[in-house]
Amino acid sequence: MTDQAIAGRRLAERDNRLSDEMFITSLVAGAAVALFLLASILVPNFFQFQNVVNLVTNNWAVISLGVGVTFLLVSGNFDLSVGGIVALSGVLAVWFAQSTEGANALSSGWGMPTWLAMVCALIGAMLIGAINAVFVVALRVPSIIVTLGTMMLARGIAQVVTQGSQRNTNLPSDFGVLGNMTMFGTSIKLPVVLMAVLILVAVFVERKTVFGRLTYLIGANPVASRLSGVDNARHVIKLYLFSAAMAGAVGILLASEFKSGFSNRGMLMEFDALVISLLGGVAIAGGFGSVIGMFFGAIILATVTSAATGLVLSPDWQFTLKAIAVFIAIMAQTWALARRHA
Amino acid sequence: MIVQTAFADNAQEKALSVRDLTKDYPGVRAVDTVSFDIDRNTVHCLVGENGAGKSTIVKMLTGALAPTSGSMAILGRDYAPSSTQDARESGIGTLFQELHVVDQLTVLENLTLGMEASRLGFLVKSDLEERVTKTLAAIEPTIDPSARVSSLSVAQKQIVEIARAASSGASIIIMDEPTAALSEREVERLFGVIRRLRDSDVTVIYISHKLDEIFELGDNVTVMRDGKHIATKPLADVNGRPELIEMMVGRAITHDYESRGEIADKPVLTVKGLSNYLLKDVSFHVNEGEIVGFYGLVGAGKTEVARAIYGADKADGQIDFLGRKRPSSPKEAIEAGIALVPEERRTQGLFTELTIRRNIPIMNIRKLASFGVFKDEREKEVAREYVGKLGIATNSIEKYAEKLSGGNQQKVVLSKCLFADADMLLLDEPTRGVDVGAKSEIYDLIRDLANNGRAICIFSSELEEVLGICDRVFLMYDGRVEAEIQNGAEVDIPQILNVVTGGGRENP
Repeated sequence: MTDQAIAGRRLAERDNRLSDEMFITSLVAGAAVALFLLASILVPNFFQFQNVVNLVTNNWAVISLGVGVTFLLVSGNFDLSVGGIVALSGVLAVWFAQSTEGANALSSGWGMPTWLAMVCALIGAMLIGAINAVFVVALRVPSIIVTLGTMMLARGIAQVVTQGSQRNTNLPSDFGVLGNMTMFGTSIKLPVVLMAVLILVAVFVERKTVFGRLTYLIGANPVASRLSGVDNARHVIKLYLFSAAMAGAVGILLASEFKSGFSNRGMLMEFDALVISLLGGVAIAGGFGSVIGMFFGAIILATVTSAATGLVLSPDWQFTLKAIAVFIAIMAQTWALARRHA
Repeated sequence: MIVQTAFADNAQEKALSVRDLTKDYPGVRAVDTVSFDIDRNTVHCLVGENGAGKSTIVKMLTGALAPTSGSMAILGRDYAPSSTQDARESGIGTLFQELHVVDQLTVLENLTLGMEASRLGFLVKSDLEERVTKTLAAIEPTIDPSARVSSLSVAQKQIVEIARAASSGASIIIMDEPTAALSEREVERLFGVIRRLRDSDVTVIYISHKLDEIFELGDNVTVMRDGKHIATKPLADVNGRPELIEMMVGRAITHDYESRGEIADKPVLTVKGLSNYLLKDVSFHVNEGEIVGFYGLVGAGKTEVARAIYGADKADGQIDFLGRKRPSSPKEAIEAGIALVPEERRTQGLFTELTIRRNIPIMNIRKLASFGVFKDEREKEVAREYVGKLGIATNSIEKYAEKLSGGNQQKVVLSKCLFADADMLLLDEPTRGVDVGAKSEIYDLIRDLANNGRAICIFSSELEEVLGICDRVFLMYDGRVEAEIQNGAEVDIPQILNVVTGGGRENP
């Protein structure tokens, strides 16, 4: 055996060390569990299995948005347009599906079959993603500004289409199927299962594929990644289209669940999606973070708000609690990484 | 060299004196016990090759760096600036290569910026405006004080900045390569300004690679070499360019070039008429298995040639690499078989917050994947293979790149290029900030690669490096290839330096 081979084996033994991402993710997951246990001590009847399930099922929409937002953050880009897209795609799906001869403007639409209405609404959502991509990639406008603009654009279009209110009449009978279908003989609805599938696929893409690896490279050092032959522009375009498509799907599923298109739906969801990503250890400057971390970030936020609001404090405290959680999370991440690298 | 422990008696006549000034960086002494005086109301030139220590001295004078030891004095009084602000207040103004004027304001507003008189937070009128207007009129009467700065040319903006330094009471103004972006006529005007400054009780420290400017403008010159002070004397006593160049180079440059035998004339890369914002009609070819060097001073266009070939910058002209499609992006360059080691290792070449293992496959990442799915085990094998092959000193392939020494970082960047299976390597400053041991290992590796038929281009501002390993060398000045030399024992080093400082133009 050569020296090199021996050295190689010694190296292999050192490779088992946790990566920074795994370290932070474990930290976030641990914090989520600890918070849940703490809430169980403080709040009567909190410690129930059904409660754990509720934490996830009540937040499927934000967690689904968080996937696209996390990928973009890791690549060094913001997406604040997802909440607006939720409203837009839901309104569009309803409008396209409403029958043509309603009594007034708000009750008549395009008369498309449900499936076609939903596909067209999804395309509408992705057009917003395409606008994001054009401005960020081709015109190099900072993403936080672009997506702040498209956030308002998407919601603005939704408001025009619903005349500032909602559309919920003259819908085909099958329009409410997708959003209300329960699965496996339990009360869990289809959107929750889709969210779970999305998370699994996203984790696989992020950890195991070239696509995931490129996302990290672009966020870690865009100059070096371009000089190393990565097509940054093309990749970021894909990420914006993906994020918009996920937001579009969420909007359509919510519209189906409530059988209505409501222009205020998804209000502030873009910020919740950003908050859970940051809570989950995603670096705001890019290059670092994980979808699993984001998922546990959502659990932390849900635990804090649901345990506190209505049981200990009044719901008016919700925003303050979110703020405190975000500050603590970001300080903890900085501290943990600094110690590790010291 | 005169070494004094105390300042001379006539110290008040010296605008600036430095004694035994030393600056150490980890592992390097950038400035080594330097002592010299600058006479009041003169234009004092500072010359030396790249890395001679000029910029380090300037940084210490302007308070951006603290000396390791030694002292400075202005007009005989001790001077030890704690910050750049402190230096300005002590009367040292600086004209940087990047301009610091505010485009949206008028000339007058720029001149008074940061000096406005105020009472309780409100601006009040003062005689300041009158004073700065006078200063501006004295050095360049053609600039209208009420004009908006955005309407001025680069040269005029520069003059505004000089006027600002002068009117804020600077007795010494440092100018670092001020003519880099100027046309010939603008240079003449700037020289006029500098002469008028000198006549109005301002001392100018002038740094330039262009030796003709030094002879035209300077009163005295200080020559630096390898961090040491070589000489300070009146330019009138310097016997033309040859003597100045000899002082800059001094020691015979040792270059242990070993001929690698006859290299067949079998071009793989042919470049014709390459031109862009900096490059002017650059043409050359590189043969299979050949190591070609590009030598020139900072700003000569070496990096720009590399980036143009690599598709990272746009350029007109023809680039033919083995008849393959001309790359319009780095991605296409890698696909065509060209890999680049960029000039700035830490910001352009390396992903410092990733591990060695994650860095190495980046330029050819799809090779480690099937159907888009990454093969982790294969990646570890590759990382171990390159760590072993290039002798990267680390105890783990999971070590973060930022934790490695400069030499080992550069080996990681080289590994990236090697893993890309390139037929040609463009190496921009391949050994900058690399220790001597790692340097020679990198040179051995480069020779090995060339012996295996790869074409190599080295872009370097170190003459020893270029003469040490390159078979042919192109000399660059001001965006042009001015000369081509065949490396060997008989290369004429003073002539090389003459060409890269702009001396090749008049007597080709």
